[in-house]
Amino acid sequence: MKSQDKPLSDIAEKKKNEGKGVNRRQFLSSATAAGVVAASVTAPNKAITQESTETSHAAITPPSAQQEAMEYDVPVGYSAEEAEQYFVKNPGSDFMVDVLKELKFDYITTNPGSSFRGIHESIVNYGGNKSPELIEATHEEIATAMAHGYYKITGRPLAMLAHGTVGLQHAAMAVYNAWCDRSPMVILAGNHLDVAHRRPGVEWSHSAQDCVRVIRDYIKWDDSPVSLQHFSESMARAYKIAMTPPMGPVAIVLEGHLQEAELGNQQAPIPGMTPTQPPSGDTNAVDEAARWLVEAENPVIVVDLMAHDQEGVERLVALAEALQAPVVNQFGRMNFPSNHYLSQAANVVAQADVILGLELYDTWGTINNMRDRVHKDVQRRARPDARVIDIGVKDLFTKSNYQSFQRYFSTDLSIAGDAQTTLPGLTEAVQSAMSSARRASNPERKARWQAAHIRQREQDRDWARYGWNASPVSTGRLYAELWNVVKDKDWALVSDDGQQNRWARRLWPIDKHYQWIGRSGGAGLGYGAPSALGAALAHRPEGRIPINVQRDGDMMYVPGTFWTAAHHNIPMLTVTHDNQGYHQEFMHLQRMAARRQRGVDGSSWIGNELRNPEIDLAKVVEGMGVWSEGPYSNPKDIGPAIARALDVVEAGEPAFVHVQTQPR
Amino acid sequence: MIITKGFYPILGLAAIFLCCGKAIGQDSEDVVTGQALYETYQCWQCHSYQGQGGAHGPRIAPTLYPFEAFSQFVRRTNLMPAYSPNVLSDQDLRLIYDYVRSIPEPPSLEEIPELTF
Repeated sequence: MKSQDKPLSDIAEKKKNEGKGVNRRQFLSSATAAGVVAASVTAPNKAITQESTETSHAAITPPSAQQEAMEYDVPVGYSAEEAEQYFVKNPGSDFMVDVLKELKFDYITTNPGSSFRGIHESIVNYGGNKSPELIEATHEEIATAMAHGYYKITGRPLAMLAHGTVGLQHAAMAVYNAWCDRSPMVILAGNHLDVAHRRPGVEWSHSAQDCVRVIRDYIKWDDSPVSLQHFSESMARAYKIAMTPPMGPVAIVLEGHLQEAELGNQQAPIPGMTPTQPPSGDTNAVDEAARWLVEAENPVIVVDLMAHDQEGVERLVALAEALQAPVVNQFGRMNFPSNHYLSQAANVVAQADVILGLELYDTWGTINNMRDRVHKDVQRRARPDARVIDIGVKDLFTKSNYQSFQRYFSTDLSIAGDAQTTLPGLTEAVQSAMSSARRASNPERKARWQAAHIRQREQDRDWARYGWNASPVSTGRLYAELWNVVKDKDWALVSDDGQQNRWARRLWPIDKHYQWIGRSGGAGLGYGAPSALGAALAHRPEGRIPINVQRDGDMMYVPGTFWTAAHHNIPMLTVTHDNQGYHQEFMHLQRMAARRQRGVDGSSWIGNELRNPEIDLAKVVEGMGVWSEGPYSNPKDIGPAIARALDVVEAGEPAFVHVQTQPR
Repeated sequence: MIITKGFYPILGLAAIFLCCGKAIGQDSEDVVTGQALYETYQCWQCHSYQGQGGAHGPRIAPTLYPFEAFSQFVRRTNLMPAYSPNVLSDQDLRLIYDYVRSIPEPPSLEEIPELTF
């Protein structure tokens, strides 16, 4: 791809021309009309599209007469020397905003901080608070997780703006989740490196030699630009790196003085940004994988963090149907329609003679099981003779401190490459390798898997009726009642059902990529509510109904999320899974107590409960301006309450139904 | 529900008792006591309040297992933490079993329109 460098031979020229009446915005607008590449990496194997950014500045409202006077004249009553002391005509952070616009960030999430006051002001006043628009959060963990959730729906990264010190420390957990979940975002961290420009006091405690160090173990790349040109190049590089599989967060430090100082005559070109084509698996290895799959009696596909978009789903459907092979979706992404007959339960792995893993987060754990006993014994789930093929980008990760890469597994064929990008070649190779006799076996295979799929769906439906009338409400009923309210709408689940017995994936027909958000990645609490809200923000222009099944423990980390929902009018239907405790930890404590033969009669509440006092979650969000009802523990109440909440969401507001539930 | 290899013999045992075993009496007082013990010993954390199961514990009610199989499952199991008689006596386990046995069948699918997908 050709680089699209477009020198805005600009700022110096602009300065020269200012006295001749050439307006800065006119200048930048004409310069950017040359266009810049902006394409989604989420459409691999497609021709990279190029979009002109001609209109990116055109939307900016022309400056008022008063603003013109401020920019080009010394204000009345000031000498030129005084004006130089008091006023800045052309702050560096305005240029930073131009770069953000060129990269087409839709939003920047933030909790405000003085170390980035320069760019904050530029976003609002110079950039008109549009493209990107600031989304205000009450905690950096919320701001970061919103960016995480937004990416998973749109395939586009957000920027997150934070103090380089205290802000990144707050954000760290959410950054780690994004890292584990291979979700890109661009973190912008304010800092004052030059002591000569630091104000006494807080600005010192909010500065660091190397502020990104606190998160460097779980981001892909970072830089600390010392000039505006450096900033623009590093932003383009950061964007590319974040969006190239394996995707992940990146960070750019915003030097305070660079934001606030007069740009003067600096040359600061904005480089073009051509997305990197995702890596595809080696052709010979892919051909070998195809042969194994075609020759297998019982090939099984297991998939986790694969599909970047709907095209990824369709590519996997094509491969699975070509082989008539069952697909076990581990639901790190919406990889495969839950209502497709080849969608099968995890136990089919035990029958497989060839297992194809696609972007598995944990290959070892897919093939093996470790029992949680005093002595951790291991049983292989798969047949001893089953061959395992692994296609994915996990071997391209290069960090070593945090152990999110899971236990080593010796696969029979390991192919480094983005699985979604590799799939068309694999499917084609499968078609080529398939004999007519093998192809003739497909109808029988299809009938077998259709029957198994129907049996599984019926069994799941049957299981949901147990505890149907229980109070507090069973999680199965919660999802059934939700479904009845939203089934005729354009809905999307913006939370993970893994802690609710996986009822959505077991019961609901999920066939669109955007209907499913996947997991947190690092399993750090405080992800659920804000990532759901980030996803809801992504769904807003499409008019979809985002459904957030909100866990009480997660919510208590980040309750301010609901203020952001109200403040920015982000419609989202939240129904709580309030089991009044940190349930996972409760079970761990119970296991420890049983193992040590003491205290199984109630000690596990200690340190794990969210009761005494009971938390009125509906009142919590009501206090932040969100429509709410509850708490409800009678199952008969929740259907009508959810219907009322849906009316609120359809009117464009967030709504919240507090339901007290069974544990899981 | 994930059933490990070690659980199959228990299911087999259960089937035998289903065919041959006699019904276990469920005195209402025992059931009430059993329910209290079910809650005290935190059975509901994995199996939920009506024994319908959850993300980490299988459905146990309405139980099909005879007490011996139920006991075996609690004392020696591949899935749940093993509760020894030192922390849960046979007598209390029996009362818990009585409670689990008393949990009625839920409505049928035909009676639950919300479960039409």
